[in-house]
Amino acid sequence: MNMPSSRRATPGRLAAISATLLILLSPFLWLLQMSFKSNDQILQFPPPLIFTPTLENYISLWHSAFSASFVNSLLSASLSTSLALLFGVPAAYALSRWTGRGKHSLSFAILVTRMAPPIAFTIPFFLFYRWIGLLDTITGLVLVYTSFNLPLVIWMMQPFFDTIPVSLEEAALVDGARTRTVFTRIVLPMVTPGIAATAILCFLYAWNDFFFALILTRTNARTAPVAVVNFMNYEGWEWGKIAAGGSLVMAPVLIFSLAVRRYLVSGLTAGAVKG
Amino acid sequence: MKNTSRTSSITRRTLLKASAALAAFPAPLIAQTKPFAGITLHGASFQHRFFTLLQKYIPEFEESSGMKVDLQLSAFPVYNQQANLELSSGGSAYDFVNVTFILAARWVAAGLLTDLDEFTSDPNLTPAEWNPKDFVDGAQVPYRDAKGATYGYSWEGGAMLMGLSRMDLMEKKGLKIPKTFAELQQVCAEINGTDGVAGITSFQLHHWNLPPYIQGFGGNIFRKPPGDIMPTLNTPETIQGIEFYANLLKSAPRGVLTYTEDQARQSLLTGRANIFIHSSSWVTPILLSEESKVKDTSRVVRSPAGPVHDYPASNSQGLGIPKNAKNKKAAWEFIKWALSPDISMRLVKEHGHSSVCRRSIITSEAYRKLNTVNGQDLGAMYLEVLELPAKGENYMAYRTVKEFPIVGDVLNKAFEQVATGQLPAKDAMNAAQDQAIAALRRAGTQL
Repeated sequence: MNMPSSRRATPGRLAAISATLLILLSPFLWLLQMSFKSNDQILQFPPPLIFTPTLENYISLWHSAFSASFVNSLLSASLSTSLALLFGVPAAYALSRWTGRGKHSLSFAILVTRMAPPIAFTIPFFLFYRWIGLLDTITGLVLVYTSFNLPLVIWMMQPFFDTIPVSLEEAALVDGARTRTVFTRIVLPMVTPGIAATAILCFLYAWNDFFFALILTRTNARTAPVAVVNFMNYEGWEWGKIAAGGSLVMAPVLIFSLAVRRYLVSGLTAGAVKG
Repeated sequence: MKNTSRTSSITRRTLLKASAALAAFPAPLIAQTKPFAGITLHGASFQHRFFTLLQKYIPEFEESSGMKVDLQLSAFPVYNQQANLELSSGGSAYDFVNVTFILAARWVAAGLLTDLDEFTSDPNLTPAEWNPKDFVDGAQVPYRDAKGATYGYSWEGGAMLMGLSRMDLMEKKGLKIPKTFAELQQVCAEINGTDGVAGITSFQLHHWNLPPYIQGFGGNIFRKPPGDIMPTLNTPETIQGIEFYANLLKSAPRGVLTYTEDQARQSLLTGRANIFIHSSSWVTPILLSEESKVKDTSRVVRSPAGPVHDYPASNSQGLGIPKNAKNKKAAWEFIKWALSPDISMRLVKEHGHSSVCRRSIITSEAYRKLNTVNGQDLGAMYLEVLELPAKGENYMAYRTVKEFPIVGDVLNKAFEQVATGQLPAKDAMNAAQDQAIAALRRAGTQL
């Protein structure tokens, strides 16, 4: 079978793809190669392209407080993502099936918390958390991230539910299924790509957050992005550790995204064509 | 016999009574020896070698005092952000904090710290041998208010010195160590490019590197800080300083305007640049560090004097107690211990840590022995520069007023325009002056 000419890999196309990849991946590759260099090699000018790689940066990270921060990040991001999905997906379904007046106003109101920049909420959160003793706790972080991710889940999931014909659910109900069964057995499996895409975005938001973690944590709940900054010491920056920390911070998101890649593309593009 | 028996009986009874009395009041007796036993002190600072070393000794303090110390160390910007928020919102999470040099004046002026004179003036709280006057006066200036009350004691000092990595090259060319700005300019220009060596190196914090040149020509950042904070960025003296420093950097490695301190130090340590003028702890590694490839050809000296003033920059970091701290007296015990002559000397002797601020330590024989390299008494130079802001005019006052960060940012941008040739110094600084005034007014400053 002949491929259409528009899909053939011509040298020009390959060059364009390679150039694009190079531009896109070069910051990542640069960071990665730095993580295998000593501070001395990193600061050399011109930078050596051929060098003896060292695992020293990763080993010292493993033995430092960074590992605890990494676990804190994993906990706060995964718990907040789970909570946001747990509450957000049924809420989106309810909103999708609700036909009453005020539906659009309610949808808009839900999104309001995502409109203001995080800094607007940081100080109130800080003062409130100090009052109720949630400063520097994973619970505190999870609650903040959940409150920011919940509107995102509702807004992202609602169009997915809109695309599922109500007649499908009605047929199941006629067959004797309960409402909860209809939701869990029929509707949810059909929106799996959407849930995957939404989960990634929620996880990314919580995982990459720096600002809330900076203000609301100290040492016990310090997350990985803040821990990376901690290698910028008064007496000098530990470039190797910063690079190793940066590379490690990227890893879970990369692994998670690859694991749900199948759903991710269809999930993210679904709204565009089905809207 | 009777007597003996009676005596024995009384003794037993007395002993029993005494035991009962002791059993009834054990806690107060113990508490008298360790009045703060059971307290957990919460303190915070940015990461610094001083605290890394101090942490090795903290178990001794905990054992002797019965207290626990929870010392939270973060990166410099992270700490400043968190501590600023905690203190300015009236928090009581910390019992002691680092009083960062650049924040000291605003924290003191805003009443966020405890007056430490109430502790040092009480002989029950501070023994005479602790001697608050032993702290180098210049290093203490940022931690005093207008009335002279003290809100912090310095644990670290930074004094601007000049490091020269390639004296061999200079001698070959018949050049002497520069003592004035003019000589500095000449040496940098003549060395630049010789044997692949740049004349001078520096880094991107222009608002730290530049002011000594501006002040050297008789200018300043503000008219008369801390009282009069009208910016003076376009005076002829300031413009002269800007032009001089921009010219100096023509002898620096390419990309110097974006160099970090690490990169600048590295270029000095590897002999890729001949001169670096910065705080002593960044410059002295050319003589002291294992990494240095120029140990045999290096010198560390006083930075050159300007035609009007000789104002090398200096700074210090202090320990203080927040106004709302829960355990003030206990925190004072910790500060007293951490900055005691004994701990300071141990840091010097056991770890070679030299940037302490106690005069008795810096002038001690042990310190001098450890900090004299190739016949150069680094401690004497460090002390001399650290002292200067307390002698006569406090020329470092510009750096600790709360308006400095705003004006400093404007200065940074203006200098980059001049150094990259985008604008002549006069035009750039006239614009900078207007921008600084507008930015200060926007921030609510009365000028």
